[in-house]
Amino acid sequence: MMAGMTGLVSQSWFRWVAATAFLCVFPFLLQPYELDLYRKLLFWVALAVSYNFLFGITGQMALSHFAFAGIGGYTVVILLTQVDLGLGLAILAALLLAAVLAFIVSFAATRLEGFYLALATLAFAQLLTVVLDEGGTLTGGTGGLTSYSLPAVFGAKIEGPWYALVMVAVFLATLAILVRIDGSWFGRACRAIRDNTEAAAAMGVDVARIKIIAFTLTSVMAAAAGMVYAFFDNTVNPPVFGLENAFLLLFMVIVGGSGSHAGAIIGAVLLKMTQDILEPIVGHYHALGFGVLVVAAILFQPKGLIGTWDNLRARMKRGKGAK
Amino acid sequence: MTTARKSLIEVSGLTKHFGGLTAVDGLDFVLNEGEVLGLIGPNGAGKSTTFNLLTCGYPASTGSVRLDGEEMLGLPPHRIAARGIMRTFQHNMPFEGMSVADNVLVGAHTTMRSGLGQVLLGAVAARAEERKARIRADELIDFVGLGEFRDAEVTTLSFGQGRLLETARALAGEPRIMLFDEPAAGLTPSECDRLSEIIRGIAGRGISILLIEHDMRFLLPLADRVVVLNFGHKIADGAPDAIRSDPKVIDAYLGEAGGVGAASGGKDGVRNA
Repeated sequence: MMAGMTGLVSQSWFRWVAATAFLCVFPFLLQPYELDLYRKLLFWVALAVSYNFLFGITGQMALSHFAFAGIGGYTVVILLTQVDLGLGLAILAALLLAAVLAFIVSFAATRLEGFYLALATLAFAQLLTVVLDEGGTLTGGTGGLTSYSLPAVFGAKIEGPWYALVMVAVFLATLAILVRIDGSWFGRACRAIRDNTEAAAAMGVDVARIKIIAFTLTSVMAAAAGMVYAFFDNTVNPPVFGLENAFLLLFMVIVGGSGSHAGAIIGAVLLKMTQDILEPIVGHYHALGFGVLVVAAILFQPKGLIGTWDNLRARMKRGKGAK
Repeated sequence: MTTARKSLIEVSGLTKHFGGLTAVDGLDFVLNEGEVLGLIGPNGAGKSTTFNLLTCGYPASTGSVRLDGEEMLGLPPHRIAARGIMRTFQHNMPFEGMSVADNVLVGAHTTMRSGLGQVLLGAVAARAEERKARIRADELIDFVGLGEFRDAEVTTLSFGQGRLLETARALAGEPRIMLFDEPAAGLTPSECDRLSEIIRGIAGRGISILLIEHDMRFLLPLADRVVVLNFGHKIADGAPDAIRSDPKVIDAYLGEAGGVGAASGGKDGVRNA
């Protein structure tokens, strides 16, 4: 494992640079409609990566992830347009609000596991949509907030493919942070809690503390993604941050392979693109296809698509070894 | 010999009632520094209850457990680990989604000093600590003889290998005290021999050990001193040889396995009792 460490490091650096270059150049090659799909796809991928850390790695079956994206998006818009804060302050304040709310929810939820955590966070997500629906002029009610726009940053309007780069940055930052802490004592403690809470505690892992940190960190990441989303079409409305999308996010992680960063990305890309292709053709029935996919994944390959890929690679390696 | 040693854990008047049943009744014993102490007794003697009181943050009915003179009864498990007490589980409890090496690294959790911020920024100290932890985990995996399984999924290990993994994982926390919960349970005779050897090696590193066990044949050659429980009471406390010939101990075991003599006689009776 130690051997070839330097080779591994430079290889992983090369991968990061190549991925960044691709993600940054690609939006400049796209037509406006494709560009819209691209940045929304990245939004989903970013959310799937942080949700995978919460659900797939720490084992917390929370359904509040999209709610936190909504809190980020709504808060930044409200602070900009109704409180007249500057962009930087509005972003900071929105992140802080998301962190405080996430801390409160996770603090209350540390005593809950599995089913009950899902219920509590589901209630939180429902509560948020009610607040957004009934928020009057503050939240714009069921129609949400519209006709605002991103203020100029240092005199420059960030638009089109340039704004897509903001989403690229948020996605890459999310991924880089989570990959790094996943490879440390913190990530191992999270996986240990997921696999066996009692044994993790006996090894000295402060289960409640790690859960609260993981929940707060990933929820703030969701809020950051939600903020960028708010200026895609310059509109935010309650249904986007409701339960349907929260479940779709869960499906993405399960189908891709929960616990794996690559799996979350693959799951999000596949399901989001399927939705984009199927929805114009079959309308709302596309959800049926997702349901079948998820049931199939749980029944036949709990490690998701990435698990299937790993198995294939292992088989090919064995095949080579036999020759 | 034992009187000269410094006491690490002092259990006094430990009592636990479950409804009308008294599982442990006024138990007193001491674990001395550098000692291998065996806690034995027939089924239902209160061994597991005692173990749980020591490690699981169970509330006791009365009594105290002091570590270096400080009360540790009722501390949550992670705080007990942080005080240098690591344990194994009778029914192996591996982290099933992780490799053998990562399982052992979780055991090193309390030894990791770098904060999340340092990890995030890739601080030199954090990287050095991670490297050191990995080297140490590799050493421990070799120490228990699982070297060839280092990168394997833990689900591929046999039950006996799983027990060895538990041992390496607990050692990774650099404990002062190791608690083994029925380590011989479920092992084949050759696996028992292998584990005995490893436990001797751990004691040789100066780590104090408390073994809870009902397999006399496994325990007596290993222990420096043995505490015998029956129906929640301590009925004997002394060197293994004295325990072997103690009439009260023989009495306690007679009912179920034909006496302690059978243990040294090589019959399987006591092992399966």
